[in-house]
Amino acid sequence: MTAAPSAPARATTAPRQIRWLLRLHRPALCAWAVLVVGLAATLLWLWGPLTDAAATGWHQYHTRCWSAAPCRYDQDAILRYKDLHQYTTVAVLAVPFLAAAWAGAALTGRELETGTARLSWTQTVSPVRWLATRLTVPALLVTAGTGLLALLHHVVWSAGYHRIDSVKPWDDVPTFYTGGPIVVGLALAGLVLGALIGLLLGRSLLALCASALAVVPLWIAVHTALPHLWPVATSVSGRRAFPSYSGIKVEEGVVTASGAHRPASTCTIDLSPGCRALNDRRGATGFYTDYHPYSHYWPLQLATTGALLALAALLAGFALWLVRRRTTGTRPGGKAAPGAGTGTGAVAHAGTGAAV
Amino acid sequence: MSSDTALRAEALGKRFGLRARWALRDCSFRLPAGRVCAVVGPNGAGKSTLLALAAGLTAPTEGSVSVLGTTPSAARPRVGFVAQDKPLYPQLTVAETLRMGADLNPGHWDAAGAERVVRGGGLDPRARVRSLSGGQRSRVALALALGKRPELLLLDEPMADLDPLARHELMGTLMAQAAQYGTTIVMSSHVVAELEDSCDHLLLVGDGRIRLAGEIDDLLAAHLRVSGAADSAGLGGHTVVESRVTGRQVSALIRPAGPLPGDWRSATPSLEELVLAHLRNPGAPALTPAETEEHAA
Repeated sequence: MTAAPSAPARATTAPRQIRWLLRLHRPALCAWAVLVVGLAATLLWLWGPLTDAAATGWHQYHTRCWSAAPCRYDQDAILRYKDLHQYTTVAVLAVPFLAAAWAGAALTGRELETGTARLSWTQTVSPVRWLATRLTVPALLVTAGTGLLALLHHVVWSAGYHRIDSVKPWDDVPTFYTGGPIVVGLALAGLVLGALIGLLLGRSLLALCASALAVVPLWIAVHTALPHLWPVATSVSGRRAFPSYSGIKVEEGVVTASGAHRPASTCTIDLSPGCRALNDRRGATGFYTDYHPYSHYWPLQLATTGALLALAALLAGFALWLVRRRTTGTRPGGKAAPGAGTGTGAVAHAGTGAAV
Repeated sequence: MSSDTALRAEALGKRFGLRARWALRDCSFRLPAGRVCAVVGPNGAGKSTLLALAAGLTAPTEGSVSVLGTTPSAARPRVGFVAQDKPLYPQLTVAETLRMGADLNPGHWDAAGAERVVRGGGLDPRARVRSLSGGQRSRVALALALGKRPELLLLDEPMADLDPLARHELMGTLMAQAAQYGTTIVMSSHVVAELEDSCDHLLLVGDGRIRLAGEIDDLLAAHLRVSGAADSAGLGGHTVVESRVTGRQVSALIRPAGPLPGDWRSATPSLEELVLAHLRNPGAPALTPAETEEHAA
């Protein structure tokens, strides 16, 4: 009977695991590279020549087209800029959905469905390490790619704003979401959410659909929570005027005699006699609006991204715990760790005696 | 670390989902190291669940299993496993699959051995796994498990997809591995005949429970196939596993507790008879390791 050989060299397998992960998902890696490079090139083109051409076009329009006479301006440049800007915006907004769907279907769902996860777990790779690699490497690639696209999108917006009339203000929803780290946070949360859904469902097609759909409530929740993640600015006016603000309106209402702010959904200015009467009954001395001005752009982006990263970390922790629980059980120590008691020892001796 | 025990289960049970049927319940047995063990039982008996528990792929619901003297997850580097459906990454080539095995099992990879298994089937190393037949996939999966040079090899229906020639050749490879490195091999099958020549230990699983466990020779010696006239002295006192009346003739498979009355004819049963008699009669008491040890003592 052979004695147990010395424990095999516990060489680190992390770099090799990463290499094989990239090999297994080479088509997805190539598709991601093509998407990022293609969008980045388009955004660079938008940023440089197309912004200039469209700005010139708008300038021509504003200077030449105020009279009734026919005028000539470069409409093609304006439209080309608008179309490409729209396409790139939609593409960047689709990244969280793509990341979630891919993670759910290919990263975990398919591996569980076809049993290749078990193949990996019976190499010298523990299930937890297997999942950790599968979350970390795609997360880095998604961060790098989405981060680059968001940066370029922001740069394009800055270059075009006030020069091109079709460029929306900063608080326009697609502009806000594509132009900062928030979309990176959404893509990462989507990736981890997808991987978790794939683990839970264990079927690739189902996980593909469920993961992509799960990004919708995530996004809605983020959009709802977003204004409350940073202290608002407040603008106050008297009864005869209305509070001036710019940016994202969070809440409006009336100011009472005691100076308290009471939110109201109607008659937040004295537009009609009815409103005037209502506001008299309310005891209103003025109006207020809570809002986020442009100076809150980065705080809002960063706070929301932080919340999304925390959520992603939480989901990743849960996924790792789930894999660990499924393969090794949760009971800590105690019964799970088999020890050779006295009774079993006697049996072992009898066994070897019979075998020799 | 008890290195003389390859596998030990204590009151092991597994249930998938809270309301589901128990796939495996109250299993206790011990498999000494260096054995070639057959796990036999009908479809859905719990064979695959038992092997998955031993491989650290799923956690027991109750009880415990220890592998090579430690937990299944701690024994992972020293255990090879081939699942029943032979999962492989379809997009890799045969050669890439083996290279992946080498990369994911650093320090204990037998490249030459794995390649020998693959070459034995005349497989083109550049062929994609996706294009292989079922038998060829089995061969690659076995090569991956053998290349790890495990101390314990868990094989779930390893030969099911193979033609008789390949079956014979691969069984020879497995036996050579067992002889050369003292590898413990546990393989499941529902075909008893294919295991009889190569295995020396038996685990009979039926309905999620261990029905028979022990050295095949010991198990055969503990049973008798007897026949006699229907009016002859009864078999009281002996454990009757199965008994059948044909006309005025009674034939039975028993575990004798002492000498038989003279008018019974007796013979040693074959392994297949033993297995079938136990599977046909779920009510027959199990013969588990503790009892075998007592018996041997």
